[in-house]
Amino acid sequence: MAILETQNLSKAFGALTAVDGVSLGIEAGTLHSIIGPNGAGKTTLFNLLTGTYRPSAGRILFDGRDITGTPAHRVAHLGLARSFQRTNVFPAFSLLDNVWVAAFACGPSWKGLLWRRADRYPEVRARALAALADVGLADKAEQPVREISHGEQRQLELAIALAAAPRVLLLDEPAAGLSPEETKRLVALVRALKGRYTIVLIEHKMDIIMDVSDRISVMHFGSLIAEGTPAEIQRNREVRRAYLGGVAA
Amino acid sequence: MSLLAGQILNGIATGMLYALMGLGLSLITGILNIPNFAHGALFAIGAYLLATVAVTIGNFWIALLVAPIGVALLGLAIEYVGIRRLYAAGHDYQLLFTFGLALILSESIILIWGPVGYSHLPPDILRGGVDLGFTFYPKYRLFVMAAAGVLVLATWLFLEKTRYGAIMRAGIENKEMVSLLGIDIHRLFTVAFALGAYLAGIAGALTAPIRGLSPGMGVDMLGIAFVVVALGGLGNLLGAIGAGLLIGVAQAVVAAYWTEASTVVIYAVMAAVLLVRPQGLFGIR
Amino acid sequence: MKKETLLLLAAVFVLPLVLRPAIAAEIWIFAIFGLGLNLLLGYTGLLSFGQATFFGSAAYVAGWLLKHYGIGVFPALGLGVFVGAASAALVGYLCVQRSGLYFIMLTFALNQLFYFVAYQWTSVTGGEDGMPGIPRPAFLGIDFTEPLPYYVFVSALFLLSLWIMKRIVESPLGRILQAIRENEVRAEAVGYDVARFKLAAFVIGGAFSGAAGVLYAMLFGIVPLEAIGFVTSGNVVFATLIGGSGSLYGPIIGSFVFIWLSESVSTLWARWPLLLGVAFVIVVLFFRGGVVEAWSRFWSWRSSKPKT
Repeated sequence: MAILETQNLSKAFGALTAVDGVSLGIEAGTLHSIIGPNGAGKTTLFNLLTGTYRPSAGRILFDGRDITGTPAHRVAHLGLARSFQRTNVFPAFSLLDNVWVAAFACGPSWKGLLWRRADRYPEVRARALAALADVGLADKAEQPVREISHGEQRQLELAIALAAAPRVLLLDEPAAGLSPEETKRLVALVRALKGRYTIVLIEHKMDIIMDVSDRISVMHFGSLIAEGTPAEIQRNREVRRAYLGGVAA
Repeated sequence: MSLLAGQILNGIATGMLYALMGLGLSLITGILNIPNFAHGALFAIGAYLLATVAVTIGNFWIALLVAPIGVALLGLAIEYVGIRRLYAAGHDYQLLFTFGLALILSESIILIWGPVGYSHLPPDILRGGVDLGFTFYPKYRLFVMAAAGVLVLATWLFLEKTRYGAIMRAGIENKEMVSLLGIDIHRLFTVAFALGAYLAGIAGALTAPIRGLSPGMGVDMLGIAFVVVALGGLGNLLGAIGAGLLIGVAQAVVAAYWTEASTVVIYAVMAAVLLVRPQGLFGIR
Repeated sequence: MKKETLLLLAAVFVLPLVLRPAIAAEIWIFAIFGLGLNLLLGYTGLLSFGQATFFGSAAYVAGWLLKHYGIGVFPALGLGVFVGAASAALVGYLCVQRSGLYFIMLTFALNQLFYFVAYQWTSVTGGEDGMPGIPRPAFLGIDFTEPLPYYVFVSALFLLSLWIMKRIVESPLGRILQAIRENEVRAEAVGYDVARFKLAAFVIGGAFSGAAGVLYAMLFGIVPLEAIGFVTSGNVVFATLIGGSGSLYGPIIGSFVFIWLSESVSTLWARWPLLLGVAFVIVVLFFRGGVVEAWSRFWSWRSSKPKT
């Protein structure tokens, strides 16, 4: 059963059609990658899925329910969490507080929102620390963001998404700007998360894609031009053509 | 009926002045991205300079030419000495700076010209009225409509048809891109501020014979300029004209029936429009 | 944490001995006003340049009822808090839908709206002359018309306000507001209705401003038109920035500096706003971060610890 599904989803900005009639289905528990040259509309697709943009046409279904037009802050509560291509954290906070904020939002209750001391929520704190532990940053929990490296910030970026205990993770180029060493660690992390979460991954680094994906969808100029297993995609001529001059398979 | 018609004409005249104010503020705020709380004071200085120069040398027309240039020079000085240092400082400090400037300027007006307002008559040639058929209308106000219209048109031509105007419009959209294209962004800021100051100054100079002069005239105009920008959109030329005329006419029409509410109406119209369209009349959502 | 509380309690006790109780009371009142603004400015990152709207509206409404209907001190206070919060809800609703410069301009423009209503509605507000004759009703037999008892009342309310603000700031709401300041997009993405939270900050800030407004009206026995004017809005921003918007206590220090400055200079020169303007300009060009940050920078240089 497709846990996340789009039907003929489109988004136009004036004369520019960024996403054009995309219909795809993500099976629960799988890692489904979306690839394509720059400007293919991948991030816009994510923005549509998370409610940041309203679609111009089409529908989005989550667990069979139509969630089209749900605003971003409600989508988070439905069980869809997202990490960003450009590190999007809370700069003045510590690592723990960064994750805490996300953990609190999707927590069971907001009781005490105005009057309980924020550090007296042991359950939220535990979930936040667990998310940091998942990405390997638990020992740096109290450090401020500006003291950690870029690679660690990308890990934090991921931890914030995990803190919401989502069912579906949308990861937008999590390896962006990482060294080969850091990339290897990230791939191991993503593989470890596979199975616990349904993952939709946007990435440019083909070795990662081929390594971890169960299924791949290829986007080009806003439309879906191919979909299949990694092996099928590698053999696909259309995909080769789209990538001509771009990232080699 | 002729009262209403006369009021509508008044509304168009003041509306054009509001448009000029909104335009100047829109350029400064749109390009420099700072809140210019001194814009009203620049307007007031324009009025006072006109009155002083006109009285001193006895010629309204030269004064009308010179006063806004004086305000533009003041704008240049302000940008050079202060604002230039604050581009990275954040809105809080920029606001406080321009607000402090507004206080300095308006108190200086009181120091130099005294706390009591006074009137300034239009030049002889523009005194008296003209028979328009449905009403007898003051010549000076017709002149203001024409002059403001010419200025708005000239600004439009500059922004739309000249190369530097295009650079300015690009600067509103995307400053980084403009500087990456090799254009001196600091010069752009200075020109924008001086141009905005000029527009405020000439609006003030034109207003003096209509409304008279008082030290508080700057603050009242500041609020109105903000309304024009909020409704019309930053950097939106047509938006400034449309919004300016809208509130000018609304204010004048209300004044015909309920004088006390006429200023409040401007803000009420703004609130009403924003309730329905938070992005303003011409903004994009 | 503890040393700040002791310092404040000491200040509360010592101040009326050093200054006239009326001025001391004005300092605490303005501090309450600043605390309200700083929830918006320092914590949520919203530069509200129209706080006088809520301060003045509360002062007028409570003042009117105190004067003409003889309501008691606590009902007046409660009413002030309510009017401050309600007017902030109205204004906030319109303003939070825009951001950045538009937001700032809107708060100012709406302030002007209220100002002009107060200016024109002379039958109620007195227009330019203000609303004089506001009493200080007694409570439980305590006569507040004397400066010292009223000072005690005001300073107690200040300490209460500070405690409430401290609780709010340390609550999850406080964290969420700061998250919004740090990264609005991410805050929305992790599940917070940012516009609603901004509105909440507005309402709380308005409530504090309203309380301050009522106390002010009772302190001076009059609600001047300026109380709802943009200069008051500017003053509280200045005081908060000079004290330091980055900390809970910044507005308190700023209030000290500002009230001391304005009280001492305004009696000397009618054109004292000129000096105020100069002060603003100098602070902006040379003393950004305010007293609190300068102080903490000094201490961290001394002890070479990382800045908190």
